[in-house]
Amino acid sequence: MKEKIRTLLEDALPLVDFDSDFLFSELDSLGITTILMTLSDAFGIQLEAVDATPRNLKTLDSIVAMVERKLGSEE
Amino acid sequence: MTLEDYLKQDAERYPDKVAVICGNERLTYAQLWQRVQEKADELSASEALRCIPFKAIQTIDFLIIYLSIHLSGRVAVPLEKNIPESRYNEIAGRLTACEVPEGIADILFTTGTTGQSKGVMISHRTIVADAENLIAGQGFSHDLTFVVHGPLNHIGSLSKMWPVILLGGTLHILDGLKDANVFFQAFEPEGKYATFFVPANIRFLLSFDAKRFAALADCLDFIESGGAPLSHADMLQLCQLLPHTRLYNTYASTETGIIATYDFNDGECLAGCLGRPMPHSRVIITPKGLISCQGDTLMSGYLGDPELTATVLRDDTVYMSDYGHIDEKGRLHIGGRENDVINVGGYKVAPTEVEDVAMSVPGIKDCICISAEHPIMGRALKLLVVMAEDAVFSKRTIARYLAERLEPYKVPQLYEQVDAIARTYNGKINRKYYLVS
Repeated sequence: MKEKIRTLLEDALPLVDFDSDFLFSELDSLGITTILMTLSDAFGIQLEAVDATPRNLKTLDSIVAMVERKLGSEE
Repeated sequence: MTLEDYLKQDAERYPDKVAVICGNERLTYAQLWQRVQEKADELSASEALRCIPFKAIQTIDFLIIYLSIHLSGRVAVPLEKNIPESRYNEIAGRLTACEVPEGIADILFTTGTTGQSKGVMISHRTIVADAENLIAGQGFSHDLTFVVHGPLNHIGSLSKMWPVILLGGTLHILDGLKDANVFFQAFEPEGKYATFFVPANIRFLLSFDAKRFAALADCLDFIESGGAPLSHADMLQLCQLLPHTRLYNTYASTETGIIATYDFNDGECLAGCLGRPMPHSRVIITPKGLISCQGDTLMSGYLGDPELTATVLRDDTVYMSDYGHIDEKGRLHIGGRENDVINVGGYKVAPTEVEDVAMSVPGIKDCICISAEHPIMGRALKLLVVMAEDAVFSKRTIARYLAERLEPYKVPQLYEQVDAIARTYNGKINRKYYLVS
């Protein structure tokens, strides 16, 4: 799961360092939108702007956790 | 009167009115005026040069620095906060070497058709004329809070500060729109607000936050959309979501100032319509069908380049590269562009500049930078590359190489490896081929 998300996001946002521990602060609004759109499409989950918090987008691991939560709640 | 004269007047008339909010900090007009005066005194006592470049960070300090530079009789040169150091130094050098006429307030840097950045000189008179245009055209008011989240070195956001100060309104500065929760916290139900969006911002809110966006219907007095054309589908959706809010598309550029504006929440919702010229502006369509503008909002010229100035500004008229026409109701409608410059979210990018840098990426044999459809931005830069035989295509490597050498908005969002780049019979890149395909 983590590697799939990494591949998808690195492809969509080639300039972003997804190994960063401060991912949110390195993203701009376009980056946030791209992440929401890419993950919604790839996993068929409903993400909203309210999910794009500094906590949820702090690291790649926190993004993975957010996707897993959404997948769990939509099962 | 200059913008700073109005600020002084605001401080006398409404000393306790909140002038600016940013994060947990807020300053009244009396406090803002005092801080601006103190900073201006510091500058006057220093050996600061006439033109002062500074990075446009989204803070109250930006406002204080910007206004104090004017007040000390100097010229403000706000630059993109992520500008590469080499570019910053190049601009600082040009500012020292070039003569700047009296009456200039700001120099804003924008991209030219050849990729060389151009310093657009804007006078104090122009700033006030732009402000008066916005007040008359869009209904800025004393009780309005304008929420500004875009980069303050760009005319789209910077210009909104001007009518706010002229009227003694309130400016709320946010650092971008990436945290929608922070954006929505800026609005209170009883307040009266306005904001400026580029089309990508609107796409984001419509796609991921439509409910909270709709909840602003009663407190959002108006929205201005600019920079690039908003899709008609998004225009219609906005009208449904915010039925009482005035929704403006505006014709403006750094060179012309704020020229015309159209409230597309008028029942007609016309795509490509930019409304009637505002009080200080006139629009004339040239025999070739291109838009030209006259009036007090025009730039004074390009820094240190009278020849380049004369190609655009002649006989008190700025000649644009946008095709347009005026309808029977006197409203301006915009068509395509005459030259190769690509508009990305309000930033003009010369594809040749991107291509010149991309050609120095190890392993790239040929390339072209084009405008392509993008699900969020509407239009975005796309780099098509031909790799050398032994080289591996990696968009990440190419993007990072470009990001070290170009401003962020000039780095393409999209990449594709192709076998060949179409060229004309004389070897030039065939841009029309890509425009059609």
